[in-house]
Amino acid sequence: MAAAVVPALRCSLLQRWPHRCGPGVRAVPGAGAALRPCSSRVAQDGINQPVIDRIIRVDHAGEYGANRIYAGQMAVLGRSSVGPVIQQMWNQEKNHLKKFNELMVAYRVRPTVLLPFWNVAGFVLGAGSALLGKKGAMACTVAVEESISEHYNNQIRTLIEEDPEKYKELLQVIKQFRDEEQEHHDIGLEHDAEATPAYSVLKTAIQLGCKAAIFLSERI
Amino acid sequence: SAGGTGAQNLSVTEQGRFSSSSKDRTLVRCQQYPPLRTLQASAALRAASDEHKKEPWASSSQQHFESPPAEHQPEEKPQGPHPSYTGQGGQESEDYESEEQLQHRILTAALEFVPEHGWTAEAIAEGAKTLGLSVAAAGLFHSDGSELILHFVSDCNTKLTELLKKEQKLVQLGEAEKKPIDEFLRDAVEARLRMLIPYIEKWPQALSVLLLPRNIPSSLSLLTSMIDDIWHYAGDQSTDFNWYTRRAVLTAIYNTTELVMMQDSSPGFEDTWRFLENRVADAMAMSNTATQVQSTGEAVVQGLMGAAVTVSNAGTCRAVTAEFLLNVSICFPNPNLENNMEKLSSFVT
Repeated sequence: MAAAVVPALRCSLLQRWPHRCGPGVRAVPGAGAALRPCSSRVAQDGINQPVIDRIIRVDHAGEYGANRIYAGQMAVLGRSSVGPVIQQMWNQEKNHLKKFNELMVAYRVRPTVLLPFWNVAGFVLGAGSALLGKKGAMACTVAVEESISEHYNNQIRTLIEEDPEKYKELLQVIKQFRDEEQEHHDIGLEHDAEATPAYSVLKTAIQLGCKAAIFLSERI
Repeated sequence: SAGGTGAQNLSVTEQGRFSSSSKDRTLVRCQQYPPLRTLQASAALRAASDEHKKEPWASSSQQHFESPPAEHQPEEKPQGPHPSYTGQGGQESEDYESEEQLQHRILTAALEFVPEHGWTAEAIAEGAKTLGLSVAAAGLFHSDGSELILHFVSDCNTKLTELLKKEQKLVQLGEAEKKPIDEFLRDAVEARLRMLIPYIEKWPQALSVLLLPRNIPSSLSLLTSMIDDIWHYAGDQSTDFNWYTRRAVLTAIYNTTELVMMQDSSPGFEDTWRFLENRVADAMAMSNTATQVQSTGEAVVQGLMGAAVTVSNAGTCRAVTAEFLLNVSICFPNPNLENNMEKLSSFVT
């Protein structure tokens, strides 16, 4: 499954977008009739701005959504026995979000328009899965974290293909976050996520939602 | 005619880059022709109006190119094939110039003639003449002057960005005070709009051309990147929906002020600047109000929650007291039990 997804994601990330080139009027090949004037924003040290834009935008949206999911789960299960576990995972997600906020400002990336929507949808997903019980919440965690780990792996592949040296800092950040998301995934499994009734259906549905969210956040 | 084909060949560069001109897609075939022909043609184009041998070098265009501008004194070179084409070590000849650079130079030169001729092919033709090129060079561009206008807008945006960068450096070095946001926005928009003053007569025409469906992607992209630049240098670091709200508000301010400027006949455009000041003040007030509404909303919600808790507590309290009194009255038989029961029931309800 991962093998099929990878080429698609890679294609979408490396799609030809008009580069944010230097100032002045440029003839963009194949742009059609008129010269395509570019913005006055200069590419920072020759990084591939459109690709980095997408990566940071979608990762920021992902961490924001994950934050809201855990908030929803805590609202329902905060006082139960898994409360501290969820709280700890939530704290790590908060750190991730903070880091992406910094990266977003540093690379001057715009956030996705759908943030208010992810705000509500994430909370509803977290609360909804928690209402199915502790196992339900853990199943949701497993599904989401698996999607996110796979997504981070794709991004790492893309960046390494582009230029591992240029994107060293970003690669380090994404690798570290991918490891932490993998931890969350394992914690979810430890807490009997797979014992949830209709586990595979729930997991597939949530992962489909995650794929759609990733697709949209990259572009909008 | 030689001038005509020269203009067409001119749009094929030495490296056979696909021309963005919509004139003739078959130009792609020219990639196969020996590149020397391009230089011959361009030399012929320059030679066509031989009375203009002025130095065409426009230093302002230098900073706009990422590739080092290779042309120095094209007018001084002799006509005919250029012997230094292959040059030493296979390097390009000194007067090799990319199509883009040439177009850029023509458009920059044409701006001088806009107040007189408007944003038209005439202005471009005049500009080409001052560079010593044939007026047929205007054929490289659309007849409605779209490229000229977009070039001008892009130029202004670049100048604005440099101005903001310089100011930012001064603040960083401690040589200037950091401006409050409303003053910063006001000054940035005013500086950008002042660049229109030399062309203000013909600007309404330019605005209408920019709104043509063909030009909307480019003009919109230039507008959004300018607004984004202004906010970036104003210190905006929002990473939530505020990012969009702020830019939308500033775009509205900029557009309305621009329109007011078109109709302003006051000395030094003071009506426009006053209008701008009022709009920026409105925007600040709106954002303050929004913050206040949000905190009021939060306070109200907290109050309601507190009231709900109190009521439910009071309810519980009353029920508990009623139970207790009932038990007590059973222990002590009382001829007035009925009265007591009535009192209790009324108390509970």
